[in-house]
Amino acid sequence: MKLKQLFKLVLINIYHNKMRTFLTTLGVIVGTATIFLVVAIGKGGEAQVNEQYSKLNVGTIIIMPAQRGKVIDPLTKKDAELFQKSKNIAAAFPILNGSGDIKYNNYSDKSSYLGIMPQYQEASNLNLLGGRFLTEEDEKKKARNAVVGFELANVLTDGSPEDILEKTIDINRRKFEVVGVLKRMGDSGSRQSVDDSAFIPYSSAERYLLGTRANPVINAQATGLETVKGAIQDITNILNENHRLGGAEQFRIMDAGSRLASAQETARTMSLLLLSVAVVVLVVSGIGIMNVMFVTVKERTKEIGTLKAIGAKKKEILGQFLAESVVISLVGGILGVILGFANLPVLKYFQLPALPSLSGVLLGLFFSVTTGIFFGFYPAWQAAELNPIDALRYE
Amino acid sequence: MGKESKCIIDARNIVKIYQNGAEELKVLDDVSVKVMKNDFIAILGPSGSGKSTLMNVLGCLDLPTSGQYFLDGIDILTAKEDQLAEIRNKKIGFVFQKFNLLPRLNAVQNVMLPLLYRGVEEEEAVRIAKEKLKMLGLGDRLNHRPNELSGGQQQRVAIARAIVGNPPLILADEPTGNLDSKSSMEAIKIFKELNQARNTIVLITHDTEVAEQMKRVVYIKDGRLFQN
Repeated sequence: MKLKQLFKLVLINIYHNKMRTFLTTLGVIVGTATIFLVVAIGKGGEAQVNEQYSKLNVGTIIIMPAQRGKVIDPLTKKDAELFQKSKNIAAAFPILNGSGDIKYNNYSDKSSYLGIMPQYQEASNLNLLGGRFLTEEDEKKKARNAVVGFELANVLTDGSPEDILEKTIDINRRKFEVVGVLKRMGDSGSRQSVDDSAFIPYSSAERYLLGTRANPVINAQATGLETVKGAIQDITNILNENHRLGGAEQFRIMDAGSRLASAQETARTMSLLLLSVAVVVLVVSGIGIMNVMFVTVKERTKEIGTLKAIGAKKKEILGQFLAESVVISLVGGILGVILGFANLPVLKYFQLPALPSLSGVLLGLFFSVTTGIFFGFYPAWQAAELNPIDALRYE
Repeated sequence: MGKESKCIIDARNIVKIYQNGAEELKVLDDVSVKVMKNDFIAILGPSGSGKSTLMNVLGCLDLPTSGQYFLDGIDILTAKEDQLAEIRNKKIGFVFQKFNLLPRLNAVQNVMLPLLYRGVEEEEAVRIAKEKLKMLGLGDRLNHRPNELSGGQQQRVAIARAIVGNPPLILADEPTGNLDSKSSMEAIKIFKELNQARNTIVLITHDTEVAEQMKRVVYIKDGRLFQN
């Protein structure tokens, strides 16, 4: 029998059992949708991590208090200067972090501000929309100048961020003049977005806003990826020497590389977990297909006998029933991919990064069809092996 | 002798033994039968006489325990399973007591199936199937499914399926067993017409009235054949 006619026969049979076919495919639908979404989440996570990575200098090392708000012996500007003397470290600068009301005209925003050294701007790949960056001069003079992130400027000016240039804003009731506005950076994935922050000279933040509460983190740049380890060692030694009270243990030293690695690890673990769920669903649905195919073969025993009497060969009977389970699983697979696409907005709502891809679609379909072949084979084989006389006599 | 006397069925000393636990059951006991081309023969016997087993052997659905069987000159006993399927497809047209039509296929699709298994293109198969159905007076029932047809009509579809591939042998197993007397008469009439058109027909029945309308009757009882 020609393949085209065999499939026609299969489709006629399936069409006459629409409801059963649909119920059989449910498991395959869910399994395929899961695989599709797992791949999408995996790709989305990977893309997110890579995006963060692209904004992060690989050699970046952050030194911060291990416990927030409970520092007996905080980091100082001097620590940064000592770090910089290490041959493994190209630059090190302290950052002060605060939050409060930032006001301009009638608009105000609860936001964060950062006290930074001028090097920070370059190290963080910031780009200007207008105006200028903070300078050494600003730092030295404790100038009350500020550079404003795109979103913050946008909120304060109600939609025209550049208007804020050379205007005066209030940060916790202290006045600062805006000398620069940054371009939109997009989500960096870190706790606070550059877009929502204001930047002021480190010395000004210490003097006018934080005073003795100043508790900086230090951003150190290793000379290269290969010196990160040495740099961390140097930092630890310096901290042990200069913070006798608590030693290096009271600080957390994080490097971008290991952060990236752990982020990738997390994404991979999540994908693996979801994938194993999908496989379990498919196996269960495969058993369902097998069950239904056994019933189908039983129901059609007499037909199989008739087909054998009029000349159907074993492989034609096998092919017919195998094709039936494959078509059932393929239909389930296609519906599953559609269900997967339909669920992308749900993932978006829960802020799970998901990136649909052709490879996800193909993997889903591949697994669904494999399920159909694997679990459809035994019932089909049973049908093919039926003795024609017994089959014809079956009532 | 010429073509007229060509031997379609040549079965010699057929023995069929079924093993039932430790017990051996000899269902066919040294059966020999010859059917010539254009023969029209009834195998008559009560139930349990072995006629179904004989039909299975003659129909190449089952192999005998011993003996020889040539169908249209082919040695059946040496044939493998797939070859038997091919022989059934090309050499035999089956007509069953319960018609054995596929319920989800319409009349044309049912009739063309043997051609499809033979590898005939669909358009050609449809054309031939329609032709046979029209010949049997079912021209207005081509797209009806079995459950939309009467018993007599279903049997005519089944006969159309049996003859669609022009097999040298038509093998009918109690073809009137499930029909009312009017439809039975019609079916017998069709078989007679097919025989007049040079078809070879072997009909198995327990009904003496049916058997008597054939050219020749052989009796089977307790697995033994008695020629008349």
